[in-house]
Formats: sequence, C-alpha cells, structure tokens
Amino acid sequence: MKYIAIIYGNKEMWQSFPPDVAAKAISEVDAFNRRHAESGELLGAYGLGDELTARTVRVRNGVPAVTDGPYVEAKEFVSSFFLLDVDSERRALDIAAEYPFAAHNAVEVWPILHESGEIA
Amino acid sequence: MKPRGSDVEDLLRSLAPQVLGVLLRRHQAFDLCEDAVQEALLSAAMDWPAKGIPDSPRAWLITVATRRLIDEVRGERSRREREDRLAFGAPPAELSRFPGDGRPPDRDDTLALLLLCCHPSLTPPSQIALTLRAVGGLTSAEIASAFFVPEATMAQRVSRAKKRIRDAGATFSMPPAGEVDERIRAVCHVLYLIFNEGYTATAGDRVNRVDLTLEALRLARDLHRLRPGDGEISGLLALMLLTEARRAARVDSAGELVSLADQNRSRWDRAVIDEGVALVTEALAGGPAGPYQVQAAIAAVHDEAASAEETDWPQILALYELLDRIAPNPMAAVNRALAVAMVQGPHAGLRLLDTLAGDDRVARHHRMYAMRGHLLELAGSPGEAREAFGEAARRTASLPEKRYLRARAERC
Repeated sequence: MKYIAIIYGNKEMWQSFPPDVAAKAISEVDAFNRRHAESGELLGAYGLGDELTARTVRVRNGVPAVTDGPYVEAKEFVSSFFLLDVDSERRALDIAAEYPFAAHNAVEVWPILHESGEIA
Repeated sequence: MKPRGSDVEDLLRSLAPQVLGVLLRRHQAFDLCEDAVQEALLSAAMDWPAKGIPDSPRAWLITVATRRLIDEVRGERSRREREDRLAFGAPPAELSRFPGDGRPPDRDDTLALLLLCCHPSLTPPSQIALTLRAVGGLTSAEIASAFFVPEATMAQRVSRAKKRIRDAGATFSMPPAGEVDERIRAVCHVLYLIFNEGYTATAGDRVNRVDLTLEALRLARDLHRLRPGDGEISGLLALMLLTEARRAARVDSAGELVSLADQNRSRWDRAVIDEGVALVTEALAGGPAGPYQVQAAIAAVHDEAASAEETDWPQILALYELLDRIAPNPMAAVNRALAVAMVQGPHAGLRLLDTLAGDDRVARHHRMYAMRGHLLELAGSPGEAREAFGEAARRTASLPEKRYLRARAERC
C-alpha cells in the first residue's frame, strides 16, 4: 500500500527554530530517509521551494494564465513530502510518527489510489 | 533453430531455484549465491536466444553462477578478508567443469528455498520480493514494475532481506519437523498476497508487465507438487484457480468491474474450475479443513452454480460458519452477512453487520459500507443504500472498486 506523507509549515515556523535545532533536525531527517530507503519502504522524499517561488497555471478559453503563488489560500504551505510503500496503514502511521517534524508540527498521511483489487 | 525468447525465459525461471539450491548446498552464503545466480540467469537470457540452449542448461547455469561467485569472493577477499563466510566444499578444478551434470534436480531445494525466502525475520513486502526473485527467477526490475515502485527501491528490499536472513543466522536447510508446517503457512500467506496484488480489475498490460496472479499460481503449483498431501496448500491452489477461472467475466468490455451475480458465466473457464473443484474436494476429504480449503469450497459453490439464482446459499452459509469457527476474522464475517441475507433475509444480514460496528478492523472499512449498501438495497431502502455505497466509494483506494461502487450508488 502506498501513502504520501505531507509536511506543512511557513516561513515564521521554520525560522523559529534556533540554528542548532534546525541543523539537528536536518541530520535527523537525513537519517530517517536513509533508514527507510534501505528497508525499501521509502520510495522518495522531496523538499519544496518557498511559496514565493510557486506558480499557479489556469487555462481559460485555451489561453494559459500563470500567476504567482500557490492556488490555495493558506497560512501554512506544503514544504516537503515523502512517498511510502508499506504493508499496512499502521506501518505508514508509525513511520510518520518517526519523522522529526511530527514532534514540532504534524505529518499528514494520505493513501494513494491504485489499480489493484482484492479477492472479494 | 533458435529458441523463442519466451521458451528461454520459462526454462530459466524453472531452473532458477534448482541452480540456487545447488550453490547454496555447497557454499552456504545466501546473499552471494543469490546474486551469482541472478547474474548467470541474465547471461543466459542474453546468450541463449542467439546461440541456442546448451545441451545441459542446468549445468551451464551452475557453472556460470559458480564462476561469478568465485570472482565475487576473490574480490571481497582482496578487499577485506572475509573469505571465512564461504565454506568451499569443492576443489577449484571441479568448479571449472559442469558440476551437477547428470544429477536429477533435488525436489526439496525449492521448498527449502521458499521457506528461507519467507523467513519469519522478514516483513511481508521483503518476503514477497525475495520469493519472486530467488524462487520465481524474476529480476528486481521486473518485480519493481509489477509493484509500481522504483527499481532502486526493490533492489534495496531484496538486499536488505538477504542481509536480515544472514543476521538471523538462517541457513539453507529444512527447519526442524515441528516447525515445517508453521513455516509453510507463512509461504502460503506470501503466495496469497502475491495473487491478491495481481488481482487487478483492469485487463492490464500482460506483455510488458509480469502478471503477479499467474506468478502466484505457478509458485503455488510448485509448492503443491512438493507437498501434495498438505490440504491447505491444495486449498490455496484451489482458491487461486477458482478465482482465476472467472477472470474473463470479471470486467466488462469497458474494463469496469462486474459483480459475481452479474457476471456472464459462459465466460468462466470450465477446465480451470474443474481442476480447482477436484483439488478442494480431495483436500476436504483428507482431514480437518483449514481456512484456505473452506474459502476455496465457498468459491467452488459459486463457480458450480449455472446462474446466480441457482447458487446454493445454505451451503455457502454453512461454510462461512465453519470458517468462523476455525479461523474467526471480521472481514470474513462481513462476507458471511451476504450468505445470511440470502438465506434468512436482508435484515438478518444487516443485524450481523451491526454486531461488527465496534470492531476497529472493519467498522470503517469500505467493504463494510459496500456490504451494507447491498443489503439495504435488497431490503428495499434505496436512499440509505445509495449513501452506504457512496461512503464505500470514498473509502476505497482501489480505482476499479471506486468506479464500481459509484456506479452502484447511482443505480439505487
């Protein structure tokens, strides 16, 4: 079963970490990524750019219009995400709980839709 | 005449566990032997279609794999003196000839290999990956594409699994007699998971992608051949056959799921059904029934009904009650509710579902809502049925099921 785990935040929140805490968190995330990539459960982990660099594309009457910023009006934005392939939802939640920022803010876990079925 | 690529592939896949078994009996180190066999299989897959299949393909593979193994060990030795991990039983001169020539394949190798790949120290995804590679003879790339994960991820899973087996001190030998049955149950579960993963509603691209359903069937047949007297293995193989037999009818021309009741039964594969029915009948006569046998028996009753209306629901209900006694499982209870409804009426089925409302394992599961929707529809409550089907559609992560459940909701 595949899941995407999404981490949200904003500039104020990320800047509120003292430099030593931030450096420690980054090395903890590196270790987290290594650990779960080695077990074959982490498919990929990605950090996103600042919301100032996000663009939104809308096509109206066949003409694409590009605007600055994310589509959703929000106080917090997606800052990073990782993809899991695990054998249960329980396992996905356990891994999410290991993610360092789960202790600071939150990690959102969503199932990914798939084409396979079960014997009914 | 040059052999066809698919003939070479079939031959290599059937030889893979035998060749690995021979290497393991001589050299122990599972991780290194498995890599060496994979490389030999790759060489053969490249060479044989062009040059023809050698007279003794098994001996060819053993020789090439042994050479790869020696190269690897020499490399390791010069790097870090770890030769003590390998106990070479054969002098080098013997390794350069065709060892294993003329010897009949050892049937137990495949079983010992399956037990090793499904070792209890491994997680199910690792057991699956290792089984498909070491016993099924698939490459990491093929397994990765079958499970829609990056090849690097699958390669990690395989190498991690091999490391775990080494760390657990597991060896290539049959476990003590008292443990064999339990370890075989783990193998059955892994094959069941592989079958389930491949049980896709959409027709799928059978040419470029390994068909996991057929792969699970092939391995279950191997296991049954090795342990013909094990009723649960027979039951598992029968369950797979009786499910696979309905494949052509399970989706319509648009690729959408068709429920069992609405399937065109003339499209079911009678020969496969007959094989499955014979297997489960024999297994059930052989002793106390296990859960796979009972599930296969339920599938057999469905498959033997000429039309949905002629289904022998009292027998299916009796089988579900038996299953509940020998292997209680809340998901089976959800399915039992249908049999209860067909025998005692939809309200009796709904009452059974109500008793499961406190069970976290199924209370919010999409199949609970789908069953509730179906029974509410039978009970003549289309509004509530529609709501339940809609809820089920929202909760499943399977796209074919989602489309099917949405269509059911709209029909209410």
